[in-house]
Amino acid sequence: MLEGLVSPESLSFSYADMSVPEMLKWLQQHQQQEVLSLSSNDSPELLQILQFHGSNNDELLQSTFSHFQMVGSGFGTNYNMGFGHSHEAMDGCISRTSSCQIHPPDTMGVMLKNSEENRAISLKNKRKSEDKTREEEKTEKKIKVEAERESNISNKEASSDTSKETSKGASQIQKLDYIHVRARRGQATDRHSLAERARREKISKKMKYLQDLVPGCNTVTGKAGVLDEIINYVQSLQRQVEFLSMKLAVTNPELELAVEDLSVKQAYFTNFPVVIASKPSVMVDVPLFPLDQQGSLNLSVSNPNQTSIDAPSESWETQSQSLFASILR
Amino acid sequence: MKEEFLKKWQMGLQIYRPLIDNTSVSERRKAIKLSADVAMASLRKGTTCWSRALIQKTATEDNFLVRQMLSGIKAETLINKKLPKVMCHRKIVRRSKKILRRRQSRSAIEEVAAKARKLVKKKTQGLRNVVPGGEFMSNDVLLIQETLDYIVSLQTQVNVMRSIVDAAEAGSERTAYYLGKLKFAIEDG
Repeated sequence: MLEGLVSPESLSFSYADMSVPEMLKWLQQHQQQEVLSLSSNDSPELLQILQFHGSNNDELLQSTFSHFQMVGSGFGTNYNMGFGHSHEAMDGCISRTSSCQIHPPDTMGVMLKNSEENRAISLKNKRKSEDKTREEEKTEKKIKVEAERESNISNKEASSDTSKETSKGASQIQKLDYIHVRARRGQATDRHSLAERARREKISKKMKYLQDLVPGCNTVTGKAGVLDEIINYVQSLQRQVEFLSMKLAVTNPELELAVEDLSVKQAYFTNFPVVIASKPSVMVDVPLFPLDQQGSLNLSVSNPNQTSIDAPSESWETQSQSLFASILR
Repeated sequence: MKEEFLKKWQMGLQIYRPLIDNTSVSERRKAIKLSADVAMASLRKGTTCWSRALIQKTATEDNFLVRQMLSGIKAETLINKKLPKVMCHRKIVRRSKKILRRRQSRSAIEEVAAKARKLVKKKTQGLRNVVPGGEFMSNDVLLIQETLDYIVSLQTQVNVMRSIVDAAEAGSERTAYYLGKLKFAIEDG
């Protein structure tokens, strides 16, 4: 009955003494542990969802917690909070533990993937590396509810062959294409809230993109303000489009947007510096306005247009130069 | 992106040019705006919701233009496809929610959170009104994605139009200025 559970005696070894094979064995004695990775970066304490069989959940966790008191004293309150939520959907077999209790399984989970880890590192470093590996896994999101259930059932049947289970679990992780979400401390772990949380994080990520795009959105905090700014921005852009089209309609009776027209104008502007340099007396009061126009035009008009400019530009240049030369003589 | 938009826009305007009734300013403005909008929407090639909604909206006003601008089979499917979902009747939804809500307890914290949520919902509804086709986007994620895309396209549209307006203005200014100078110089000398 207790085969899947960790007996308190096995936990009597000290934290630093564990060797890799011992830890692996300890892990194998557990039921399958699912490491769910979270996509967001700002969760300082990440929980792992452990599965326990049988009804001795509370006792077991109490013992592990008392053993690992030295590990983290700050997690005491969260321990209680964790058990407040411990009996939710999932066959009643999943309970949340505070992170201090699961340090050995956590590290072992890490070590399964990353066998070169040095156990002599201090606690802090271990947690840091856990976080790093977790962050590395964050590229995809998977909800692993069904995988857990399946593995749960299979584990119940073949409890002795634990190595198979872990490998099966690993293969299931690869096969199934769910969204990985890590449950934060003090949050519900049933399927609906996980999905909701994933959805909410998607939305907040997209809102961040929007904040970068819309100017002046950085100062406002909160969804409502950002949304307000976005609405104003979109409305102002639409109004600008209307205004500009009106302006174009007024200045452009023939609806001539022709590229040739543009190329001519660009040629005109490119010639300007030449003309200015040669005839300063005439051009004294010419503002720098056309040069700006040239800059803006270069942004909007494509490069293929410039090749067609060469021919007309020369003619313009010669014409204007000859004109002015004749005038000033 | 800008070049493609420009080309499509010119294509659309060319359709309008042979029409004789372009004498009034409002007609011209409408022509310019419609062709610009359809050009912008056609750049997305029907992948985004707002572009489809925009094309369908302009198709109600000027079917011919849309058909000409969007070449190929796509035009037919885009125009003929009915609008994706029925708009939720917000009043009815609100009333039914009110009825459901009557018996819930109200603590202080809950009230504040509820008010914040209401505010956010109001804003998203406002956003749906602004973005073309926003009414038909069922979830918020889609709405925000569409607004992102729509904002980017609007920005390019505004940039291109503004630079053309400036060029046209400057061109006419320059020519007027130079003609004035020339006249002056000729009269003097």
